[in-house]
Amino acid sequence: MDVFTLAFVAAVLTSSAPVLFAALGSALCGRAGVFNIALEGQLLCGAFTAVAVSWWTGSAWAGVAAAVVTTTVFSGVLALGAVSWRADPIIVAVGMNLLALGLTGFLLRELLDATGTFAPTGLAGLPDLDVFDGIPVLGALLGGQTLLVPLALLLAVAASLWLNRTSTGLRLRGVGEHPEAAASLGVSVTRYQHVTVLLAGALCGLGGAQLSLGNVTAFTENMTAGRGWVAVAAVMLAANRPLLVLGACLLFGAAEAWGFRLQGVGLPQQLTDAAPYLVTLIVLVASRLRVRRRLRDVDPVAAVSAAHPEAVVHPEETR
Amino acid sequence: MNDVPRRTVRRSGPVAAALLATVLGLTACADSGSSGGGEGGEESAGSIIVITPNPVGGNNFLELAVQGAEDVAEEKGLELDVFESTDPTSIQQNVEAAVREKPDIVVGLSFSLQDAFATVPLDNPDQQFLLVDGCPDPQPENVTCAAFREHEAAYLAGVEAGLLSETKQIGVVAALDTPFIRRWVDPFAAGAASVDATVTSTPLFVGGDNPFGDPARGKAQAQVLADQGADQVLLAASGSNVGAFEVATAGGFQAYGVDVNECASAPGQVVDNVLKNVDVALAGAVTEILDGNTGGFQVYGLAEDGVGLTALEDDVDSSGCLIADRPDVIEQVREVQEQIIDGTVTVDDPAAG
Repeated sequence: MDVFTLAFVAAVLTSSAPVLFAALGSALCGRAGVFNIALEGQLLCGAFTAVAVSWWTGSAWAGVAAAVVTTTVFSGVLALGAVSWRADPIIVAVGMNLLALGLTGFLLRELLDATGTFAPTGLAGLPDLDVFDGIPVLGALLGGQTLLVPLALLLAVAASLWLNRTSTGLRLRGVGEHPEAAASLGVSVTRYQHVTVLLAGALCGLGGAQLSLGNVTAFTENMTAGRGWVAVAAVMLAANRPLLVLGACLLFGAAEAWGFRLQGVGLPQQLTDAAPYLVTLIVLVASRLRVRRRLRDVDPVAAVSAAHPEAVVHPEETR
Repeated sequence: MNDVPRRTVRRSGPVAAALLATVLGLTACADSGSSGGGEGGEESAGSIIVITPNPVGGNNFLELAVQGAEDVAEEKGLELDVFESTDPTSIQQNVEAAVREKPDIVVGLSFSLQDAFATVPLDNPDQQFLLVDGCPDPQPENVTCAAFREHEAAYLAGVEAGLLSETKQIGVVAALDTPFIRRWVDPFAAGAASVDATVTSTPLFVGGDNPFGDPARGKAQAQVLADQGADQVLLAASGSNVGAFEVATAGGFQAYGVDVNECASAPGQVVDNVLKNVDVALAGAVTEILDGNTGGFQVYGLAEDGVGLTALEDDVDSSGCLIADRPDVIEQVREVQEQIIDGTVTVDDPAAG
């Protein structure tokens, strides 16, 4: 089984990249206190815009730029709805996901005169990187990738550094963890949240463009096929921490790619479908068990309260 | 000149149209009012409504079926509406909406409509239904069925792959692991094994949330097969094929298309196609029903010319397929075709029982 070959890792990087972009955006939003699950819709918006503009202009990079701009504008729906008007972010996000699905299908007919799939000959896709050619490991890992794949990896590191090592990152975390405290220190909570949601939109635009001009060179109705929800699972699993988000996305990508290879020796397709969610469950249960064991070693009362939070009697309630 | 009554081809179901209308703040369905009546006041000879399980574009099977419906509508002077579904819920709603418009025949495409066609016809005994590429069990009296023995043609493609494979490894990228889709997967392997027992076939299934339209996943699976050394790969994943053909174009393997001639999808890299002449079957069945022969169940195989290979067509030389350069292989395939038709070779049907 060719699980640990460089080609396998390269395949995982390719399939994970769109998910990683979206998940990073959602993680930043989570740290700023905005629950962003409109990833499926934003990825689809980016994927469609990238293909349409690449077709019209003949330039894949123009497609990427347009995808970033359009998806940022689209994410303004969440910024306005959930931040300015204090609507339930889940409801806004579900609306955005449905809107993107219907609207991209509609515009596919109206603007590109196609239904279902748009993959004409001559549609410009993103070029493969060639700067790593000849370098042993990097060449094999990144040789067949677009520039956006290493960019996604770098952005995960950059997001982590930004959150943990800069003052704006600290303020953003403050806005998410204790908005009143942040506001009392003169930090504009809504401004930080607006900017973060729009930034997540830009990241989703990159993710969508990578999907439709990098992974393949085509647009298909609903081509995101649940990748936005896999990204949501990755964000949950990683508790909004960018480097862990990167790990979770690669884990999901590896589970999927490994599943494809195991299908060849008889693993049912339905099990490959469930792979990312099975991995999430396993990791969540495992991490929970570890927390409990650690707490039991330190403090028996804390262990009980971790296992049975309903059994804990708070002093102020007994009064 | 005959006056040909106007056909309205509405490329979206009423559900989708209503949804869009709501979304865009419009008030009325775009063209539903204009679909009645022929031109010049002439009475229409009748009407049919075709319901698809998925968007038509990019789906060769549905495009060919709609083509067949357009042809028969033109020939008979029928009005034609096409309702495109996007998911199981909209299939049911489209079937009910079609029944409300009371056409002569409600035509359903593919096995995905089997459930709807098992129940709705019972509630509407005066309405005639035609299901192409599937049949509900039990079959209601007012449902006519037309189905195919795709496995016979897939077996022939397997024979070709077995003869042409140099690595002795072949594969299939299919949309879903269902008994019906296994009609392409299993006979392809069996056909190859019949000419060379050392050939092994690896089937991969796209699956996921959108198995018929996930090109990125289709490409990832095709790449897995290419990396494992498969050099002849059947692509039976509908909209996900777009990605898989990219691997063929890059030289990963030689591909086999499904339903229609897909040799232009990866020029110089597609060997042959497992054809399903759904247009012929649909037009034939509509004619039968209009003549009053309702409730039948016609199955189209190699003998009935309902399925076949591009290699066996008269115009193979201009098809752009690689098989045109190998008359020796075509000759062998013709022999197997004869053996299947006369019964000396039987192809197991994975969807049976």
